[in-house]
Amino acid sequence: MSTVEKVRIALEAVARAPVPAEDDASLFDAGVIDSFGLMEFIGELERQFGVKVPDEELTPRKFETIAKVAAWFDARKRG
Amino acid sequence: MSNAPGNETGQTRISGFGHCLPEGVVDNAALAAEFGVEAAWILSVSGIRTRRCVAPGETVCDLAHRAALAALADAGITPSDLGAIVVGTGTPHRQFPGVSAEVQKRLAAPGIPAFDIHLASVGGLFALATASALCAQYGPVLVIGAEVMSAVLARHPRVKETGILFGDGAGACIVMPGAGAVTLDEIRIASDATFSDALFMDFGESMVMDGRTVILQANRKLQSAVSDLLGRNGLAPDDIDLFLFHQANLNLLRQVGGALKIDPEKVFVNLDRYGNTSSASLLIAMSEARAAGLLEPGMRAVLAAFGAGMGWGAALISCRAGS
Repeated sequence: MSTVEKVRIALEAVARAPVPAEDDASLFDAGVIDSFGLMEFIGELERQFGVKVPDEELTPRKFETIAKVAAWFDARKRG
Repeated sequence: MSNAPGNETGQTRISGFGHCLPEGVVDNAALAAEFGVEAAWILSVSGIRTRRCVAPGETVCDLAHRAALAALADAGITPSDLGAIVVGTGTPHRQFPGVSAEVQKRLAAPGIPAFDIHLASVGGLFALATASALCAQYGPVLVIGAEVMSAVLARHPRVKETGILFGDGAGACIVMPGAGAVTLDEIRIASDATFSDALFMDFGESMVMDGRTVILQANRKLQSAVSDLLGRNGLAPDDIDLFLFHQANLNLLRQVGGALKIDPEKVFVNLDRYGNTSSASLLIAMSEARAAGLLEPGMRAVLAAFGAGMGWGAALISCRAGS
C-alpha cells in the first residue's frame, strides 16, 4: 500500500466532509478537517504508520494536504 | 516536560477558595449575529452556551479584588495575615504596576511582595506554583487568576473561532505552608517558546490565536503533563477523583480525557456557562469544585493547564480531614 493510500485511510476515519480526489487540495478549505479533526487525523496517522509525530513537528501546515502528509511520512521513513 | 528536579511541595496547602464572575451574560445567539455564524455552530465547536462579560467601567481589578475577598473569608484570615500576592493575568488594566498592586492597595496589605505573572491561560497555574514555592518563606500567599478577555478580542467574522470562546472572570485561593485539608502534593510547570507566536497580543492590539497550532500543542502537552504527574506519583487515572483542567474548549477536554482514559464524569466542566476565562479558569473551577463538595477528605484531584508561551503544567492535590 502506498503512503498516499495509507494517509487516505486515516483521513476517511475522521473526515467531516467528502475527501477530495486531488492530493494537493487543502483539507481545511474543503471542510474535511477542522481544528479538532486535525487532532484526530494525526492520531489516526500515528496509528496507521506506527510513528509518533514529535511535538515540534505538529504544525497545521504539514497536515494541510494529503500530498504534504504523505511527503512528511516518506521523508521520515527515509531519514 | 524536562527531567529537571521539580517542586515536590508535600507541605503546602490551599486553605481558601473564591471566585467572581461579572453579572453580564452573553449567549451564543448574541455572538452568532456578530460573527456571522449559527448559534448551534458555536456550541458544537466549543461546548460553550454562555460566557460572562464585565459591565462598562468594571475592570479586571474589580473581579480580582472580589475573588480575593471571597478566598480570604473562606480561609478565615485577613489581609494583614498575607505574606505575598501573586496574580496570573494576560489582560492587566495597564502595563504596570499590575493587577496585584491594585489588589494590594484595596486590601490595605502593604509591605509584602505583590506581582503579576503576565501569562494568558496558564497564568493561574503558574501563580499557584510560584505561591507554593514562596509560602514557606513569606507565609500565606494570595493567588489570583483574573481576566477581562472581552477587552482584547477582535470582533470580526474573520476571527470567529477566537471571538466566540472567551469570557471574563476571576478565581483566587490562599496557599499556606504545611499540609492541610487540601494539600498540594506536587506542582510542576514548563514552557517551550517554539510555538510562542501561535498565541500572542501586541501592545494596543487584539489577541491573536492560531487555533489549530494551539489545540495540537495543548492536546499533547496536557496529556504528557498529567501522565507524567501520575507516573511520578505511582498513580493511575482511576486513582484520581477529579480532573480540573483549564477550561479551554469542551472538545479539547474530551480529547485529552479520552486519550488518558479518564472517566468523563471525573472531568470538571464549567466552560459551558463561563466560556474560556483564560488564566482565571483553573482557579474558578477549583473554587466551584470545592463549593460543590468535590474536594472532600479522601479525594485526590489533578489540576492541569496550558497557555501562552507556550506554557503548561499539572498539580496533584489530596484532600484530608483538617483545616
